[in-house]
Amino acid sequence: MNLSEDTILLLLELTDVIISGLTNGSVYALMAVGLTLVYGVTKAFNFAYGSFFNLGGYCAWLMILATGFVGGYFSIFIAVIPLMFAVGYGLEKAMVAPLRKRADWENKVMMLTLGLSLFMDNLYVAVFGGRVKSLPTILDGALTIGEVILNYQDIMIFFMSISGILFFGWILNNTRTGMAVQAVAQNPEGAKIVGIPEKHIFASTFAISTVMVGFSGILLSQKYFISPMSGGGIMIKSWVITAFGGMGSIRGGLYAAFIIGMLEAFVGWQFGMSYTMIALFVLLLTTLVVRPQGLMGKG
Amino acid sequence: MLNVTDLNAYYGEAQVLKDVSISVNQGQAVVMLGPNGHGKSTLLKSICGLVEKVQGGIEYKGQDINRLATEKIVNMGVTYIAENRELFPHMTVLENLKLGAYSKNARPHEKDNLEKVLALFPRLKDRQKQVASTMSGGEAKMLAVARGLMSNADFLCIDEPSLGLQPSLRFEIFSTLKEIIDQGKTVLIVEQNIPQIIELADRIYVMEEGSISFEGSKDEAFSDDHLKEIFLGM
Repeated sequence: MNLSEDTILLLLELTDVIISGLTNGSVYALMAVGLTLVYGVTKAFNFAYGSFFNLGGYCAWLMILATGFVGGYFSIFIAVIPLMFAVGYGLEKAMVAPLRKRADWENKVMMLTLGLSLFMDNLYVAVFGGRVKSLPTILDGALTIGEVILNYQDIMIFFMSISGILFFGWILNNTRTGMAVQAVAQNPEGAKIVGIPEKHIFASTFAISTVMVGFSGILLSQKYFISPMSGGGIMIKSWVITAFGGMGSIRGGLYAAFIIGMLEAFVGWQFGMSYTMIALFVLLLTTLVVRPQGLMGKG
Repeated sequence: MLNVTDLNAYYGEAQVLKDVSISVNQGQAVVMLGPNGHGKSTLLKSICGLVEKVQGGIEYKGQDINRLATEKIVNMGVTYIAENRELFPHMTVLENLKLGAYSKNARPHEKDNLEKVLALFPRLKDRQKQVASTMSGGEAKMLAVARGLMSNADFLCIDEPSLGLQPSLRFEIFSTLKEIIDQGKTVLIVEQNIPQIIELADRIYVMEEGSISFEGSKDEAFSDDHLKEIFLGM
């Protein structure tokens, strides 16, 4: 088959776009699964979700500063993941749990987490400055297949996000705590009856989602950079994916994440990156009009 | 074993229980009768820590359990079997049963109890892989009772086990309850669609409008004209 040079260039560009959509989509999937899990189990909206994304990035950055990147990303994950879990658990216990008893607590949690995100973002600016920080590449080099170049970095992002999702899925289906989380999501009263400590499960779920988004933050920040005020955009993206996939539906969130990853890559390629947010909102609004429950939402 | 004294319970502003006092001794089967909506379920839920606003004394094995969280009460060996079952709809029968053994006190006995429960409910044995939401009302009810037994409880609060069941299944539930009682469990049952249940009762209470209007043995119940007329249909 003889292809003209233009066609080959187009195909190569297209491959790049698809790779970018897949890698970003896989990280979005990890983020969205975390957010949809919290919503499905605790019925609480977490508007500080994007700020936890950057918390992951900054923790990694601080660790590199302090230890000089000993052990590479392996030691960063070992240290930052438990830390994110502790932060998530503590924040839920200290800030969200006390609100749960009050009337109209869902709105109060929304306001509170929105405030928390403003606080965190501005704290980042105060502590780390307004300029972006970058992290070392997780794996240098590239795999060349004919004309196609696959960065090891992208492969790692894809591989680690998917592993993360599978790992959390495994926890959910194969551990006592995971089953308890599902039980609370399916029937909170029934969960109470069998003696599942609801408060502990709420805090644990919040903590697990904090780990998922913090881990996503490290993965994407080492490809792009850490920017103190970017949490809002991340939060919006996570919410669009969650609403598009169907609130509380993990499977829906997964599909939505890849669709949106691809959409972003294609829109960015065809129209420029500044149009991606617009495309997201067009998609969201269309979804809300045509299928308000989202891709896989119930009713 | 269980002593409830001067219990008042509220849903929001509405008072559901008014100065209720009951006691259940170890190994007893106590049956609570009374019209629907008069607070029988609320009493059972209050004992198990499932009602927000409860005042008064609830003592189990000499310990005040009124302020305790449900998981602590379950861990002490008290379980509530709900009239509307409260199963985990998207989980299998086996997963529901295993979650029944969630509390610390139940975990070491999970295997034994699973065997016992499946022997008690042969229907569930054949359906371990079935998803709970696809079960018929009767099977779901059995699963709810079975899940309660998985908690290794000594004290079972069983709320209307026969509600919504056809007569043949009612009889099946009745014989299961009899077996549970014969095994030495202490039970507090709210039930009025199975007249034979009286036969099993060591003690009978009647609740009307949130208060106890009768308490006594089954002989006393049978000789009370008001009771016979209203609840026993005789």
